[in-house]
Amino acid sequence: MLSDFGQVLIFMIISIGFVAIAVISGKIVGPRFASKGKDSTYECGEDTVGDTWVRFNFRYYVVALIFIIFDVEIVFLFPWAVVFKEMGLLAFIEMTIFLFILIVGFIYAYAKGDLYWDKPQPIVPKLDRQIFKSEI
Amino acid sequence: MINFNDLKEIIPLIIIAASALISLLIAVYSKKSGMPVYVFSLLAVLAALIFTGLNVTKDVIIISEMLRINPYSNAFCMIALLSVFITFMASKDYLEKLGINFGEYYSILLFALFGMMTMIYANDMLTVFIGLETMSICFYVLTGLLRKRMKSNESAMKYFLLGAFMTGFLLYGMSLIYGATGYTNITKILATYTAIRTPMFLIGLALFMIGFFFKIGIFPFQMWIPDVYEGAPTVVSGMMSTAGKVAAVGTLIPVLITLNLVEYKMLFSILATLTMLYGNIVALSQSNLKRLLAYSSIASAGYIMVGITSMSDLSIKGIAFYLLAYVFMQLGAFIVVSVFENSTPDGKDFRNVTFDEYKGLAKRSPVLAIALTVFLLSLAGIPPFAGFWGKYYIFYAAIKSDLIWLSVIAILLSVISVYYYLKVIVYMWFKEPEGETSGEAVPVKALSYAAIMVSLAGTLLFGLYPDLFFTFFKFLIK
Repeated sequence: MLSDFGQVLIFMIISIGFVAIAVISGKIVGPRFASKGKDSTYECGEDTVGDTWVRFNFRYYVVALIFIIFDVEIVFLFPWAVVFKEMGLLAFIEMTIFLFILIVGFIYAYAKGDLYWDKPQPIVPKLDRQIFKSEI
Repeated sequence: MINFNDLKEIIPLIIIAASALISLLIAVYSKKSGMPVYVFSLLAVLAALIFTGLNVTKDVIIISEMLRINPYSNAFCMIALLSVFITFMASKDYLEKLGINFGEYYSILLFALFGMMTMIYANDMLTVFIGLETMSICFYVLTGLLRKRMKSNESAMKYFLLGAFMTGFLLYGMSLIYGATGYTNITKILATYTAIRTPMFLIGLALFMIGFFFKIGIFPFQMWIPDVYEGAPTVVSGMMSTAGKVAAVGTLIPVLITLNLVEYKMLFSILATLTMLYGNIVALSQSNLKRLLAYSSIASAGYIMVGITSMSDLSIKGIAFYLLAYVFMQLGAFIVVSVFENSTPDGKDFRNVTFDEYKGLAKRSPVLAIALTVFLLSLAGIPPFAGFWGKYYIFYAAIKSDLIWLSVIAILLSVISVYYYLKVIVYMWFKEPEGETSGEAVPVKALSYAAIMVSLAGTLLFGLYPDLFFTFFKFLIK
């Protein structure tokens, strides 16, 4: 008889074998026609423009981090809501403490000014003179 | 199910967790002055220390059998709290000197402390893991606190990558132990252990131990220590080498002693020998004091390993005492280094950490020189200081469990260690100062001074009256 771990092993062997067969048979059987279009970088069918290493505003990074606070919150709130009726007051207090801890993180981010998003101040082109003199 | 009465037992944990959160808010709302958060966190650690001390004889298993509060864990917790307390005292001046006195530092250190305490109190492998990770992640951040220095960044990166890798070992070990026994609860695993000594369990246990050996710095997993301690802010290095070690040892020891792996004694003794050999021999060729202390921390891990090898109640006693002495002397030495240390003019590297710069320190600031001399002599194990008794109890336990050859090696190697400790002392006392700042006294701020004095007092007090420790923890000498 197989133990529980034996079943896991068989599962692993089958999954590795499946991938290996798929990849190798593709190599052997599949036709290959090289063309210029095939070798180019795929970017939604368009020709690529510029470099991929562009700078972007690091505030996106901060926003992503703050998003995690709320993301984790939802993940834990969901199962909590399911058992809330059975556990009663204790569950409520526990979740309050948990939310309080998360809110401290949020207050920290707020007080640090990480939520303050610099408004763009575009330089509007302005003409000093209405009429151009001919300057020859 | 959680019982509200259980919360009463974990007041120190609650204090630390709550103050970590509150100090974060204090830090961010009092940007101009670092004082409120500093005083608050110092008081929080003190309060937790007092509460643990008051309930030191409690012996309960609480919170769905997730935590185990007993005298042993309380003792290790108190040592860790003490270490962080002294670190806090010395931190402010040092961080201000380097211009990195962020309020978050205190919060992160409190979170690390919370992780350590959770880990020591843990009675479930999952709690161990949560505690260990809380501690480690805070350590990675603290290591890289000097974020504008390449060396600091490098050491934080190294520590993070290796630490994450080793956490993988730990988790894999835990999952194998769970597979072999069907429990994650440590008490239950220990109860069933004699029944199932399957290879899977033993492999799992070995991987589990590797995860901890990495944190303690036992031989094949010690390579990160010098680089990390050199690049990290000095007070943080001191804290990591003491409190971090206390936490890892405090978690591992009760498990190992209960398992009583007598048939693997040889393996443990070889690891202990290699650790001591590596730490002491490589330390001989060092010329940077921070690196020297890092290697001496590896050597100390070796002495602790000798205690682990003897696997008796006597050796727990010895290790607890050694760790207490170690907190005072190692942390004290690191604090003296942090006081003397300075930045290079471009602010990109440490200055005043090599032996050459220690020349004639005794003439410039006799008090610092005396303190460092005491700490180094104590680390070497010279009698009137606490370090001697720590080594004495550990080697005594080893001899009692028929490991005479191991204790002989340990004593020989600790004789070798006297050479490199004395080298620093000779540089301080018997060489003339050099360089443009040679005549000036080293400026010492009051709080750092207090921290050095506390460490000095501890080293002397427990050196002269080692019985104090055992009277306080009477349970240890049953």
